[in-house]
Amino acid sequence: MSQFAQQVVLGLLLGGIYVAVALGFSLVWGILNIVNLAHGALVIVGAYITWDLFTRLHVDPFLSLPVDALALFVIGYALQRGVINRLIRAPLLFTFLLTFGINLVIVSLLLLIFTADFRSVTPSYSGSGLHLGSVIIPYIRLGGLAVALAMAGVLWAILNRTRIGAAILAVGADRDAAQLVGVDLRHIYALTFAIGAAFAGVAGGIISTFQSITPTAGDPYTLQAFAVVILGGLGRVSATIAGGLAFGLIEVLGQSAPGLGSGFANAIAFVVLVLVLVIRPRGLLGRLA
Amino acid sequence: MRGARLGSFLAGLAVLLAACGNSGSGTPAPSTGAPIIFGAAVSLTGSQSKEGGLTKQGYDLWLDWINQRGGILVNNAKHPVQIIYEDDQSNANLSATLVEKLITVEKAQFILGPYGSGATASDAIVVEKDGIPMVESNGAAQSIFSHGYKYTFGVLSPANKYLTGVLDMAATLNPKPTTIAMLAANDNFSLEVAKAVADYAPSKGMQIVFNKSYPAAAPDVSGLISQAKAANPDIVMNSGHLAESIAINKAAKQLGLNAKIFAYSVGPSTPDFISALGADANYVYDGSQWTPQVKYKPSFYLSVADYVKAYQKKYNSTEPPDYHVAESTAGCLAFEKAIENAGSLDPSKVRDALAALDVMTFFGEIKFDSRGINIYKPMVVEQIQSGTHYTVFPANVANGQPQYPTPTWSSR
Repeated sequence: MSQFAQQVVLGLLLGGIYVAVALGFSLVWGILNIVNLAHGALVIVGAYITWDLFTRLHVDPFLSLPVDALALFVIGYALQRGVINRLIRAPLLFTFLLTFGINLVIVSLLLLIFTADFRSVTPSYSGSGLHLGSVIIPYIRLGGLAVALAMAGVLWAILNRTRIGAAILAVGADRDAAQLVGVDLRHIYALTFAIGAAFAGVAGGIISTFQSITPTAGDPYTLQAFAVVILGGLGRVSATIAGGLAFGLIEVLGQSAPGLGSGFANAIAFVVLVLVLVIRPRGLLGRLA
Repeated sequence: MRGARLGSFLAGLAVLLAACGNSGSGTPAPSTGAPIIFGAAVSLTGSQSKEGGLTKQGYDLWLDWINQRGGILVNNAKHPVQIIYEDDQSNANLSATLVEKLITVEKAQFILGPYGSGATASDAIVVEKDGIPMVESNGAAQSIFSHGYKYTFGVLSPANKYLTGVLDMAATLNPKPTTIAMLAANDNFSLEVAKAVADYAPSKGMQIVFNKSYPAAAPDVSGLISQAKAANPDIVMNSGHLAESIAINKAAKQLGLNAKIFAYSVGPSTPDFISALGADANYVYDGSQWTPQVKYKPSFYLSVADYVKAYQKKYNSTEPPDYHVAESTAGCLAFEKAIENAGSLDPSKVRDALAALDVMTFFGEIKFDSRGINIYKPMVVEQIQSGTHYTVFPANVANGQPQYPTPTWSSR
């Protein structure tokens, strides 16, 4: 029983990472209708910033998260305004190709700058955890989950409590109508992408504390973010939280399914994904299109 | 091939001319022959660019050395060496296409292997079809050699020996560990390593109490580690790659999995493992193809100590080379000796000379069985002690004693 409780806790903590990664991805997809294949690469850029600050200046990884957010916000804004915006109304396939290319460029740049060596951020508390009876909750992962939920709160507040957020949602709902009422489309597009990138950067900062990072380490996260958004549904912050936590739980519990190698955990997760698509095409909590 | 034939004709002519000029004075000084072209498709970008880069370092180290000496001696003519590289982008499927290109377009006469068992297996098909010998240094899966290929040779100890050396060592320790948790990445090589452990453990009086595989490059292993902990094993073994060995060690500490031995097939031997984990890397064992401390007595090329020095000089490093570099150099040495022994650049003659090769190098003995596997070289066990690698088994090549048992995480 305690073993099961431990697995559930680990699943939720892993889910927290997925929530953090998927928030920005979901925002960009929902508003700009871009499936950003460079999202994982942006995550890893954030991870490298945290690593760099930690190794050079001994900045605690959690304190460097705002730096990740700011740096990625700037990069994201420039990337959207300078490159992606030129194809913003093109069919989905074109933006697919474009972001795929951007992904390759970022990964290659990271290889040039940081080489393919494995990097890791290991603060003094990285091995310790909270003991609740026989269940152990590692501090690092608990911190990750807390940050992920805080990020979700911030995103919700931006979208629902600010003028910018209202403009972003308006563009997502109907870009032509939004333009008619005076929304500066190019600025809002770039802003949305920048927020998405900033969230990716923060997720990367968290990831660097429990996983060793390399320039290519982001690729699986693009896939995970995609799965989380499909599972949870598009267009709501709460849907991303539900999707992320559910996906983390399914993966960890799938690993402990008796008799199966955990190679099947991925398969189980994607079978659930397909089932959700069949039974509830808009995702667990997604809005109707 | 026409170029090579013309080259050897010219070389022969040169030898004759030199012989005339030198008449009366014993053996003539060797002349210079046409360059020998080696091809290699290694991973320079992508997820295996680290290991691919180490492979290239090993090849280049030998390349410099042999060309400083004028090249490989064939029939009293020294042939300088060129290596043409292609980047397989860590994609095993692309590797075979590139090797085909190296042979047909770049006219490579011999092939040096890629990084990884997957790429090696697909390249083996190409070299077999074209009748071009390949010596590979970075594919240890035995399945590569189970097809009866005649042109592929591997200088590595095969996968099934990677972790069994750790069991041999464990059997000598007191109190003797008896239970094993075996984790393995879901790829050919890693599963072969894990299966060999499962097959071998009972003969040493040990049993597997937990045995699971995970998808290769899995970023999260904490669920698996918490399950392994419930089985309370004396030995935790992982057969996977560097990223997973780091993740497993981190998760073991976070979740308080205490074992007497932590042993990982790939990872701990690289400097990255220690820099990523700091003091938590201590006490970890690995099975290694080679360590800079081994005490082999080579019959040619460099001694172990000189090899380490040459590496540090060329790559401006304070770290000794890891085994990926050494095994790659060893692949080149096998070619060098076989070409010399064959006295010819003809691919089938060089192939026969490889099959008959038996030499001692800084890397250990190189000799191939009928499948083309080097089963004659043992794996060594090393342990990280206070941030430094020590070779701890077998005793006749070791420079340290195993620190056993591993203290619990809370008492470190």
